[in-house]
Amino acid sequence: MSEAVVRRIADRFGDKILRAFSQHGDEAIVVAREDLVEIARFCHDDEEIDLKMPVTLTCVDYLGEKPRFELVYVLYSVKKKHRLQIRVRVPEEDPEAPSLTPIYRGLDYWERYVWDMYGIRFSGRLKPLKRLWMWEEFEGHPLRKDFPLRGRTGQIPELDIQDIYRGPGPGPKSRPASRAAEPRPSQLPIVK
Amino acid sequence: MSEEKRTELVNVTIDGIPTQVPPGTNLVEAAKAVGVEIPHYCYHPGLSIAANCRMCLVETNKHPPGKLVPGCQITVMEGMEVTTQSKRVKDQQRAVQEFLLLHHPVDCAICDQAGECRLQDYYQEYDYKPSRLDSPKWMKNKRKVLGPTIVLDQERCIMCTRCVRFMKEVAEDPVLGVFGRGTREVIDTFPGKTLDNNYSGNIVDLCPVGALTWRDNRFRARAYFLTATPSICTGCERGCNVYLDHFQGVPYRYRPRENPEVNQYWMCDVGRLGYHALHDDRLVAARVDGEETEAEAAVLAAARKLGELSGKAAVVVSPLLSLEDALAVAALAKEGLGAKAIYVSGRAAGEGDRLLLRSDRNPNRKGVELAAQAMGLEVRAFDALQGAKVEGLLLAGLEIPADEAGFAEWAKKIPTVVAMGTNVSPLLGAAHVVLPLAPHSEAEGTFVNFQGRAQRFLAAYEPRGAALPGWAWAARLLRELGHETGWSSTREVFMDLGRKLPEGSLGTFDWDATPRRHLKGVVPLPGGTVDGRPAGMRELIPLRTGGTAA
Amino acid sequence: MPETKNDLANLQEDVLDAKLSTKSLSLNMGPSHPASHGTVRFHIELDGEIITKLDPEIGFLHRGFEKSCENSTWTQCLPYTDRLNYLSSMCNNFGFLTAVEKLAGIEIPERAKYIRTIGAELHRLCDHLTCVGAMAMELGGFTPFLWAIEARDILWDRVAELTGARVTTSYGRIGGVNRDLPEGWVQKVKDSLVRVAELRDDIDALLTHNRIFLERTRGTGKMSAEDAINYGFTGPMLRASGVDYDVRKAHPYWVYDRVDFEVPLGSEGDNYDRYYLRIAEMKESERIILQCFEQMEPGPILVDDWRYVLPPKNEVYSTIEGVIGHFKIVMEGVKIPAGTVYSYTESPNGELGWYLVSDGSGRPYKVHCRAPGIPLLGGLEHMVVGSLLPDLIPTFDLINMIGGEVEQ
Repeated sequence: MSEAVVRRIADRFGDKILRAFSQHGDEAIVVAREDLVEIARFCHDDEEIDLKMPVTLTCVDYLGEKPRFELVYVLYSVKKKHRLQIRVRVPEEDPEAPSLTPIYRGLDYWERYVWDMYGIRFSGRLKPLKRLWMWEEFEGHPLRKDFPLRGRTGQIPELDIQDIYRGPGPGPKSRPASRAAEPRPSQLPIVK
Repeated sequence: MSEEKRTELVNVTIDGIPTQVPPGTNLVEAAKAVGVEIPHYCYHPGLSIAANCRMCLVETNKHPPGKLVPGCQITVMEGMEVTTQSKRVKDQQRAVQEFLLLHHPVDCAICDQAGECRLQDYYQEYDYKPSRLDSPKWMKNKRKVLGPTIVLDQERCIMCTRCVRFMKEVAEDPVLGVFGRGTREVIDTFPGKTLDNNYSGNIVDLCPVGALTWRDNRFRARAYFLTATPSICTGCERGCNVYLDHFQGVPYRYRPRENPEVNQYWMCDVGRLGYHALHDDRLVAARVDGEETEAEAAVLAAARKLGELSGKAAVVVSPLLSLEDALAVAALAKEGLGAKAIYVSGRAAGEGDRLLLRSDRNPNRKGVELAAQAMGLEVRAFDALQGAKVEGLLLAGLEIPADEAGFAEWAKKIPTVVAMGTNVSPLLGAAHVVLPLAPHSEAEGTFVNFQGRAQRFLAAYEPRGAALPGWAWAARLLRELGHETGWSSTREVFMDLGRKLPEGSLGTFDWDATPRRHLKGVVPLPGGTVDGRPAGMRELIPLRTGGTAA
Repeated sequence: MPETKNDLANLQEDVLDAKLSTKSLSLNMGPSHPASHGTVRFHIELDGEIITKLDPEIGFLHRGFEKSCENSTWTQCLPYTDRLNYLSSMCNNFGFLTAVEKLAGIEIPERAKYIRTIGAELHRLCDHLTCVGAMAMELGGFTPFLWAIEARDILWDRVAELTGARVTTSYGRIGGVNRDLPEGWVQKVKDSLVRVAELRDDIDALLTHNRIFLERTRGTGKMSAEDAINYGFTGPMLRASGVDYDVRKAHPYWVYDRVDFEVPLGSEGDNYDRYYLRIAEMKESERIILQCFEQMEPGPILVDDWRYVLPPKNEVYSTIEGVIGHFKIVMEGVKIPAGTVYSYTESPNGELGWYLVSDGSGRPYKVHCRAPGIPLLGGLEHMVVGSLLPDLIPTFDLINMIGGEVEQ
């Protein structure tokens, strides 16, 4: 559907497009982290390509491959009715990527989702990076493949406020010592 | 001469992928080398070629066009191009699969092989069409007892003759044969003979369908739910490589792993039956003076009792302990108890046979001797124990090559006996402190076999109850006796004490070469797991592989 | 304390001349709020009654949808997709299945396409009714809410007759749908649609020219077309701003190229347009359903390939091929070829996208749901900053942020 788009980007950027392929009717290009912002800005500003709508951003964790993560951006043009996927590989040792929120404001929440679930930081954002679905004190990034299915980290400790009514159940400091020593299945360690 | 042979690789192209293989390789193996799967039933690399299932038929350019040749029988020729994806080959695979299923009984719901059955896998991949049979299926004997270990279902058999060839060539006990003709062919024992052989379990692994089943293990577990952990058999000093199949902390069977240098593709029945000991009559709680207590209390009592002896305790190490356990116990003997020698016990010797089984039925005798050498301790035979004047006894492992009741009587006279064991035994009656030991299915470690080969095994599930590996108990006792070790995993024990092993004693063994599972706790199966376990099954990878010393 | 009347006058003058200092108020519109749809927590900073900053905090309904999908077979993922946008679960189901079929390269039978279209449109009606009704209730009009719920209930009865469940349907399978239309259902649906149309017209009459409603929704929550595109808006929110993008028209799927319907467009980009757009879309959905009933022909509802579809039970119990096929599909999952795909359908809230990664085994490697509500929530701050606090209510309601899909 969008071969013309890919050809136009390839004409302009040449070697920076590492791979371009078409699968099940969708076109995708693979680019390096350093060139992402430049290529995205071109896709947004160019009249012929006109990819002005950010559809989604997601991340796939290929545990065992190097580089480990693959960010997938899907962009769409309402006028020209074509779609493009931009894929970027991010290594595990340096999980950082440039943010596209200055160009596409709609990627704000998606970048927060990738940070929350996969642990990839985005630099140059319009707003500060915070978790989307998990609470801020949560440790670990749940959608990584080495995060256990039923893994949980410690709960936020209950504050010892005196003048509130407490219902039934243990309070902040009353966990019995003998059971505290045993690791319960919900507290298995998380590999970060 | 060998230089010339090695450079003489043959160029062959499989599905457009060029590769070079040694001459004499058949097409199934050549395709496996490039990742192309040619389906087959009757071919097995450890047996002779029969080429009777006709599933591996492929097209090549060296044969007349349109003539399909069996890939397991044809060896590579220079410049051969093999096609496995053409329409003729696909039609042939579908047709063979359909024919094999024509008179196959509708048994999947009750067949043990479901989950590891080649008929199921190849049907789904090569022939996913409905049945065209419109007549009744042939009926044959469904429960023919071939011997004390094997039951044959003649209806399920697809006549690949792997079992016949195995018994003739590998086990050298040709009691099986093919009888009858055409559709009425059956596998059976020759008149007057039974299948009573130490290697009968292998034909159950070989059988691609559920025709041959092992009487010890019938209807016990569904293959979909079993997790396979690479392990080492502890039946004799050969240390055949195996998979331990287990589910929710219970072992269900051993299956041999391929290792051309140790056990090729087979294992003997003596070793196979060893999985019962991992589960039955297990010792799971520590005892002091016959009463069950907490582990810490037992360690304190043992340390106190042994500490009072200072040098007059005899340490008996069973060669069923792993190398790391033996090193730690030897360190305990030397530094904690001041001993100068250890006694090596173990199971009594049996009869070895020509193929795999060896007469010494202990997996790690060499390892225990090396551990003693590393710590500078003398190794004494078990018989010397009863002659020596002993005031205290530390039994690391309860397997002794003598009458257990008699030895227990003798041991009752000794003032202090501390015993570490995996299974309940008469010796426990004489022990004052009992510490439960984790067998090799619940801890990781190394066995050194009779060839001097060090082989690692992985833990399959969490230690049961209060059981811990031998090195963990040794570390706790050492700590109570005043020597802090700081070991918190089996690897640390090996890295710390293994340095003292004699140079080159383990050959090229590298602890880290075995892939270590870095996932812990409840983890999902990795995407792409296709070993028959159901989707969504969670594995519980033992947290305490190695356990903690503190 | 002033002693004389004169002192009092002086004091008042001083007070009147004193410089007025204000502080911005941090307001927490907590997760349970009667005027917010679902559990969302807003951190609002107010200057008087004008919103200066708005920060939504979500995650109260996060259930680990993606992680659960990675640990189930492809068919077992289907009930998880129900619970995403639970008001229009058939749209989620069919969207997911369309993506899987695109990845596997299989084409479903004609009748299945028609049934999928009918199911999706029925649930589109349910979703729009809920949105309009709940919004009216939160603005103070309880009656339209009850009418909308009555209409939705009638539709849910029809859906229950078709699929077996009112809300979380798990309808549809890889390769088609699992049940055909029941006897007499077509006529029942036609009668129900007549009643639903009556109720919809009642709601329309009560709200569309209502003075209070107009004051609250006209001119509030404005979003220009360029901003809407830049924020990734899709669906009624985007069309209200005047951008003509509907996946059903732009990239037709199922039978949308064979039925005749229009896509209503707004002009102002404010809440009133979004509300009226939903009413107009309900009329179009009704048209689509009636046309589908006319065009449908009897035929198979599942593709005839035992790699993807369970064999029929009489074959499972009597032939070895059937029982093998059943065992393999149930225990190991349908083997979808390895690859990645991005597939998109028009759900009531916008473009519902699915990015699937398969590794060739019976379980997905990754299932990503592009929930249409996420970019809408991201644009909320832009729409309400600078307007009054009560304007937040209709804006947030018309986003129709369903917790299930935004928090997966």
